[in-house]
Amino acid sequence: MMIAAYGLSKFFPVRGAFRATTSLKAVDDVGLKIQNEQVVGLVGESGSGKSTVGRCLIRLLNPTDGEVLFDVPDSELAEYEKARAAGATERVDAIADRFSLLRRSTSELRAVRRLVNIVFQDPYSSLNPRMKLSTIIGEPMISTRFCTRAEADIRARELLGEVGLPEFFEDRYPHELSGGQRQRVAIARAISTNPKLLILDEPTSALDVSVQAQILNLLRGLREKYGMSMLLITHNIAVVAYLAEYVYVMYAGKIMEWGAKGKVLRDPQHPYTKALMSSVPVIGETRTRSILRGDPPNLISPPLACRFHPRCPVAFEVCGWSPEEVAEDLEFLVGGKYYGTFGDGVRLTVEGDRTIIIQGTTEVQKIQELVDLEKEDVRSLKSIQAIDVADGATSVRLHEAIEPEMYPSPDGREVKCLLFRLDASAPAAMAPRSAG
Amino acid sequence: MSDALAIRDLHVQFHTRRGVYKALNGVDLGLRRGEVLGIAGESGCGKTTMGLAVMSLLPRNASIPRGQVIFDNKDLVNLPREYAERVGDRFKPKEHERILRRVGKALARIRGRRISMVFQEPMTSLNPVLSIGFQVAETVYVHDPALLARRVLARSKTTPQIMREVLTLLGATQGGEAALRKFAADHDLVGLEEQVLFVWRREDVHISRKEKAIRSLAGQSMKPWERKIIETVAKSGSIPPQFARVPVLSKLVRRILLKEGSRKARELLTSLGIHHAERVVKMFPHELSGGMRQRVVIAIALANNPEIVIMDEPTSAVDVTVQAQILELVKQIRTSVSASFIVISHDLAVLAEVSDRIAIMYAGRIVEVAPTAEILHHPLHPYTQMLISAIPTLEGKSVEGIKGEVPDMRAPPGGCAFHPRCPFAFEKCNSVVPIDFRQGDDQLVACWLYEGK
Ligand SMILES: Nc1ncnc2c1ncn2[C@@H]1O[C@H](COP(=O)(O)OP(=O)(O)OP(=O)(O)O)[C@@H](O)[C@H]1O
Ligand SMILES: Nc1ncnc2c1ncn2[C@@H]1O[C@H](COP(=O)(O)OP(=O)(O)O)[C@@H](O)[C@H]1O
Ligand code: SF4
Ligand code: SF4
Ligand SMILES: [Mg+2]
Ligand SMILES: [Mg+2]
Repeated sequence: MMIAAYGLSKFFPVRGAFRATTSLKAVDDVGLKIQNEQVVGLVGESGSGKSTVGRCLIRLLNPTDGEVLFDVPDSELAEYEKARAAGATERVDAIADRFSLLRRSTSELRAVRRLVNIVFQDPYSSLNPRMKLSTIIGEPMISTRFCTRAEADIRARELLGEVGLPEFFEDRYPHELSGGQRQRVAIARAISTNPKLLILDEPTSALDVSVQAQILNLLRGLREKYGMSMLLITHNIAVVAYLAEYVYVMYAGKIMEWGAKGKVLRDPQHPYTKALMSSVPVIGETRTRSILRGDPPNLISPPLACRFHPRCPVAFEVCGWSPEEVAEDLEFLVGGKYYGTFGDGVRLTVEGDRTIIIQGTTEVQKIQELVDLEKEDVRSLKSIQAIDVADGATSVRLHEAIEPEMYPSPDGREVKCLLFRLDASAPAAMAPRSAG
Repeated sequence: MSDALAIRDLHVQFHTRRGVYKALNGVDLGLRRGEVLGIAGESGCGKTTMGLAVMSLLPRNASIPRGQVIFDNKDLVNLPREYAERVGDRFKPKEHERILRRVGKALARIRGRRISMVFQEPMTSLNPVLSIGFQVAETVYVHDPALLARRVLARSKTTPQIMREVLTLLGATQGGEAALRKFAADHDLVGLEEQVLFVWRREDVHISRKEKAIRSLAGQSMKPWERKIIETVAKSGSIPPQFARVPVLSKLVRRILLKEGSRKARELLTSLGIHHAERVVKMFPHELSGGMRQRVVIAIALANNPEIVIMDEPTSAVDVTVQAQILELVKQIRTSVSASFIVISHDLAVLAEVSDRIAIMYAGRIVEVAPTAEILHHPLHPYTQMLISAIPTLEGKSVEGIKGEVPDMRAPPGGCAFHPRCPFAFEKCNSVVPIDFRQGDDQLVACWLYEGK
């Protein structure tokens, strides 16, 4: 296995209200594996945490929590996973000591830096404007003591050819190049130390399609020639479709689904992946789309339980509804569409973390009717477990939420959606694959 | 029927220290009435420049050596020049200035009101320190104060009795717009109908609540002298000079009309699918998500019922799930608003969703224009063909880049600007600029391969 991450989290400290420090949960409990010689895509919308995962994997950022094992034999990895599941700390530590990137000292990391490298999105800022291209390309070879200065210069010239640039470019400066040429230089630099793993963070997002096509073909060629592993981070699903074999889909700091490319892209199972795939405009295809409401959430106070639940078209009882969310939707209906039933004077307040108190009406029957009529559209209403009257007010009690985990699906992929939770205690409505 | 907008042989240059960039080199394009015309092309080919030229909003270092932008029988580019020529040898500096000011005003009246634009970066077109409601209100106030004045006046003149009649009429015609419009006109209540219809058409509100809301439109209170000023604004479309000179009065008018503008803002945002618009109008741009911001910017562009709306990369700053929402919104708007649209995007797939026709731009010229299906499935221009085969698909079909680089627009290649990259180029291409050749029913292609075909 090239690299394997377990429970990877990265929380950034941010200043909240009243100068309190809170954290932005950019990456939360992410697991990800890349086999030797495999190209894995990591897709998701902007801010979903893709770049942060990429940086944590190779310790350009120190993760808040989690483990990253690098270049670990499969047998040891299997043992590690078994020990981890069994909570055998000693065994876990013994293996992690040998393979964990997070436990490497700075000097040990230098050797690792030869084996992993990264290409960033922005070809305009990722290259030092005051350096000649030969220096830029040679820089990682020298800093990781891959070879001597003189050897680096020779190799830099070869690499220019390798990425399709003429040799005389060695004396040029980045500002003399076009965006596509700069990205070629960034790639030449990244492969200069013969890395086993290349992280590509939005390698073509700043480029025009005609240039993007060139870079995609260059990457494909390099991959075939050198057989390196790649993590391809992008919001462009077609780019992943072009290069990757496996795909991870990320949303709001969590992996939602992963599996073989053909399965995930052509037959998505997670409700988010479904919506994502149906949102991608495709030339010559008019599809019926499922259009999501709203925007991705903020990650300082992310939605409870399933982070996708506020937008999920099939969310149900236990997906993580807070009483605030339910109260807002109820209020909107009571004061709008159902104004004729309830009139003025109905007030809703949240009490604790599972109860809403409704003042101004004790018509349980009518509230229940509203809930039954609307809950297929207004999914938060599904979380209502019971409606009772006490002391002249109505109290609405919610189901307890369940935190979704990665559930394996028979075809080898994993899906983080409660619809795939094969648990006898789950309500009947939750049979797997009823997601429609 | 004549085109809603015609661009003829338009040239635009930017003068910089590093040289003269020839951003547009003879754009010829007609926007048909009611259509959505997509403009596609790679970065730097001149899409935004064309939009800005139509809006007469080019930056100061730009010049227009040649060309016309014809709108409503007026040439927007040469309006200032024509006026100047008309002055001719009677040229007197003072008079000249007065005329130029008048020309400037005439252009300003068109820009923003009859032609409006959604800019590429939504954040730059919103003022970060002003609330959303204020910014929408201000747009309407600046371009069409009379509309706001009519709305307030109509409410102030409406009695509960009239509202009962309106409700009866709505019931009888099932919300018939034409009937309501006529009713308002007959009762000298123009400006009322859009407010009534807005409430009536809401789907998330119970009928009894709607009726209550419509009834409560009646009887806006107004002092007699306030009414007098507002009436003049409603008639003349501007604050009469005798009032404008009195700061207290002009402030008062501004206050009344901006308040009305903010009502209008709530209606607009709601009709663009923004929930809880009352809350959103009080927010500031940075508090909004990318998708909301884009909706607000679109709302501002639609605020004055423009005849032409230019949208520059309306979805490039948002994610794909939000892009799907915005595209849906654009489709909805085009059916509900009687305007013609130019939608600019570097993403052909996005244009394929919303456009009736697509024009492909390369190095400051339109190289091909055709109905959407035609251009996607039977592209004729070599550049269009190569552009389409560079787009990766979900099936992972192999893509082909276009060799070479986009030209340096300080010295674009002579002849067909695409010739250094074109695999079909022949002698003529290097020296003679290709003209448009009509192919099939409705396809225009600027390429010598189609000469005599
Ligand atoms: N203010 C300016 N000063 C100098 N050159 C400019 C200016 N604005 C644009 N240009 C140049 O004019 C050409 C066309 O620019 P324009 O912004 O219209 O391209 P575009 O097609 O909208 O590109 P994009 O897809 O990147 O938005 C480019 O070569 C650009 O560098
Ligand atoms: N250095 C940082 N400090 C604070 N917040 C950050 C930092 N880097 C990223 N974030 C936040 O973490 C989240 C995920 O960011 P990122 O990994 O860049 O997402 P993506 O690459 O998917 O667009 C975003 O909300 C972003 O604003
Ligand atoms: S757990 Fe599944 S069904 Fe529930 S909200 Fe999340 S994605 Fe939707
Ligand atoms: S005119 Fe000539 S160079 Fe230009 S696209 Fe046609 S064949 Fe190619
Ligand atoms: Mg990123
Ligand atoms: Mg532009």
